[in-house]
Amino acid sequence: MGNCLKSPTADDISLLRGGDSPVDGQDPTLLGPPPPYQESAPVYHPAPNISRPAHLLTEEEQIKIAQRIGLIQHLPCGEYDGSKKARECVICMGEFSIGDKLRYLPCMHIYHKDCIDDWLMRSFTCPSCMEPVDAALLTTFDGSN
Amino acid sequence: MAQERSALLLHRQLGELMKNPVEGFSAGLIDDDDIYKWEVLIIGPPDTLFEGGFFKAHLYFPKDYPLKPPKMKFISDVWHPNIDKNGDVCISILHEPGDDKYGYEKANERWLPIHTVETILLSVISMLADPNDESPANVDAAKDWRENPAEFKKKVARCVRKSQEE
Repeated sequence: MGNCLKSPTADDISLLRGGDSPVDGQDPTLLGPPPPYQESAPVYHPAPNISRPAHLLTEEEQIKIAQRIGLIQHLPCGEYDGSKKARECVICMGEFSIGDKLRYLPCMHIYHKDCIDDWLMRSFTCPSCMEPVDAALLTTFDGSN
Repeated sequence: MAQERSALLLHRQLGELMKNPVEGFSAGLIDDDDIYKWEVLIIGPPDTLFEGGFFKAHLYFPKDYPLKPPKMKFISDVWHPNIDKNGDVCISILHEPGDDKYGYEKANERWLPIHTVETILLSVISMLADPNDESPANVDAAKDWRENPAEFKKKVARCVRKSQEE
């Protein structure tokens, strides 16, 4: 069975936590050919308190994570242009600067895309109002039909 | 990347707390070179059994804060249903959301990435004033609190006195 979590699209890469760091400083050339699925060892969170590299996920967890990635990609995003009321990302406490990539949640809360996407991979709720994002998404879809 | 982000956020909070201290506690680092380990002094909240005490505690932040909560441990002795006998603080906002195997906590009472040292300590101060005995970390303290208030008061008073001498 194919592993859709490995698709190397630009959007997916931003969701892979620590995917760009080398594995514990080991030189892979000393270990012979690396086992499949361990080359970049991205870590996923099938539940917020569980961390697992992709190759150790159960099929069920892989499906859950793939669905989550899909849902996150459906959320609108944009760039800060100074026109919005929100000035600060409450996750990193940093002010928005012109050109920062933003993510808009259905509850109208706005965060840096990188800050909120990492959180949404763990818990699909808005940190400010605790609104479950999927429920709000479904309402949006229903409304548009 | 995650590490730079967490360090930056913690530096921001430390700077903010130095500039605008919050009533009820003071905060700093255990070691000036390690932004991930904080030492805080919590003032026993007025009009509670803990009034008059100065309780020292440590906060240990993970490298992926604020996606994950810090751990908090009282260094001073504190007799309280939600602080275990090693000093570890057990409150719902320091627990990650997700599968709560005991079903005690609602998801919205648990960790959120917008919690800061300030919001955590304000929760802990409110916990001191108002213990939650539904899921006690110190069963004996919870029993005292529920069934033997005089004994609870006596043990807390002992902690308050001890904290003043530290």
